[in-house]
Amino acid sequence: MTELRRADVAIVGAGPAGMAAAVRLAEAGLRPVVFDLNATPGGQVYRQLGDPQVDAVVMGEDYLRGRTLVETFTRADIDYRPLSRVWWLGRESTGYALGVITQQGAQSWHVDRLILASGAMERGWPFSGWQLPGVMTAGAAQILLKQGALVPCTSAVLAGSGPLLYLLAWQYLRAGQPPALVLDLAPESGYRALLRQPLNAWRGRGYLLKGLRMVAALRRAGIPVLQGVDGLQAEGENAVERVRYRHRGSWKTLPASLLLTHFGVVPEPQLARSLNLPHGWETGQQSFLPSRSETLAADERLWIAGDGGGIGGALNAEREGCLAALDVLASLDIETPDALGWERQALQHARHRDLEARRLLETLFRLPVDWLDLQPEDTLICRCESVSRGEVEHAIAQGAAGPNQLKAFTRCGMGPCQGRQCGESIARLLARRTSQPLDTIGYYHIRPPVHSVTLGELASQQDT
Amino acid sequence: MFRRSERACQAARQVQVRVDGVTMSVPDTLSVAAAVLQVHGWQGYRRHHDGSSRAPLCLMGVCHECLITIDGQPNRQGCLVPVAEGMHIERQGGERHD
Repeated sequence: MTELRRADVAIVGAGPAGMAAAVRLAEAGLRPVVFDLNATPGGQVYRQLGDPQVDAVVMGEDYLRGRTLVETFTRADIDYRPLSRVWWLGRESTGYALGVITQQGAQSWHVDRLILASGAMERGWPFSGWQLPGVMTAGAAQILLKQGALVPCTSAVLAGSGPLLYLLAWQYLRAGQPPALVLDLAPESGYRALLRQPLNAWRGRGYLLKGLRMVAALRRAGIPVLQGVDGLQAEGENAVERVRYRHRGSWKTLPASLLLTHFGVVPEPQLARSLNLPHGWETGQQSFLPSRSETLAADERLWIAGDGGGIGGALNAEREGCLAALDVLASLDIETPDALGWERQALQHARHRDLEARRLLETLFRLPVDWLDLQPEDTLICRCESVSRGEVEHAIAQGAAGPNQLKAFTRCGMGPCQGRQCGESIARLLARRTSQPLDTIGYYHIRPPVHSVTLGELASQQDT
Repeated sequence: MFRRSERACQAARQVQVRVDGVTMSVPDTLSVAAAVLQVHGWQGYRRHHDGSSRAPLCLMGVCHECLITIDGQPNRQGCLVPVAEGMHIERQGGERHD
């Protein structure tokens, strides 16, 4: 018979939110099980921090800030299971059922309470040639830096919109491999809007100063930083050979072999979507977000903490992990409501202050809503199934009414990434062509397995 | 290609892996995809089922562009598998792997 494993609380993800939640639960005497995709704790932001390959001189202080949390998590009595893929979630009357592929094989779990802390991903943002080898995300470049102090052998071109772009440029400068050029695709209106929102600018002054310091360091080092870029293309036969960009109305071409892009981060949607949780389009973050209560609960036995519920950054994710843990403890009557109340109030206060400050980033790095319209017709929207914008538009004109019909018409979203890269673009295209709000358009219906698993892995179910 | 920065804060512990039949030494903290990007770069990483050349995009388990053959098993997500001593890695740059 197949063994069904049980736990009071399971946490999916060992980034700042998942680690903080697990640590807080362990402090209260629980022993949560934590499933994580990676080999070591930290998530993307604190990756490899247990055995860092680069220090604060290269990475900046923010990376090292997570060290205490990683160490506390590592020492605490937590059932931590790295290299585990939660490929299936099922809602049951007494909790949640989980299908997990671990290093030891396939496992089935039943847990009374579940915290999703599966984090964010780089936004899929199509432009001509983005499928060419030599185009990578800024997040990927940072992963290489953290994992093995890896920097490119040649000077990269960095392009996109968001703080991570400048952070990576600064880190490459510190690591001895400055970028050739930084192309800022944030609309210039964002900087003008800042002047009209002095309160937001004040609340976000910490972010603003950090950014200005990084840009100043880049300029001092002689790295060209172009603002007001509104077109981007990668060209080449089997890999990137040239980067084309439009700056103040005219196209320019630059020989380059590596283009690192960043268009913001969005919640990794698969597990929340696979449960059919309600989602809404959030115009500030320009993204679908799962609905959560003030206590981060998505239902009476499910919580969503950290960037998987909405982008708030690493410190906010840590707070949200604690908040979710506190609500779990309250639901179990483990700690007195009074003690929990004070802790919760302080965390909520800090959380709201932080999220207010982030409005500045949302204003500054707003992505243009007509971006897809401006891309050539043969630009791939779905990379996995190689479906172009032209093909998607044609299917919409033929009457494909929603994301799931478009999938049936064109195969978009049916490849191995399961729509993670194209889901937002498909919804955006449908919304524009059919003049409907994004909330009406909705998203792909996500079904398990939400990770790629082989039949062999499923058959490796451990029997007792 | 990628290289280890001279500003790394410690010496890398190395493991030996075989990439397309050739034994190579790579830092043991890398994923398979990162190791291949270090020794071969993004060119020739993978051929997509439409015939186009592809290489890792996100390295965080999302895009599935890093699919690679590990110890004889095709289409593994190279960014989610850490390198290990004696591992056999084969790039899927030649024929199609559907």
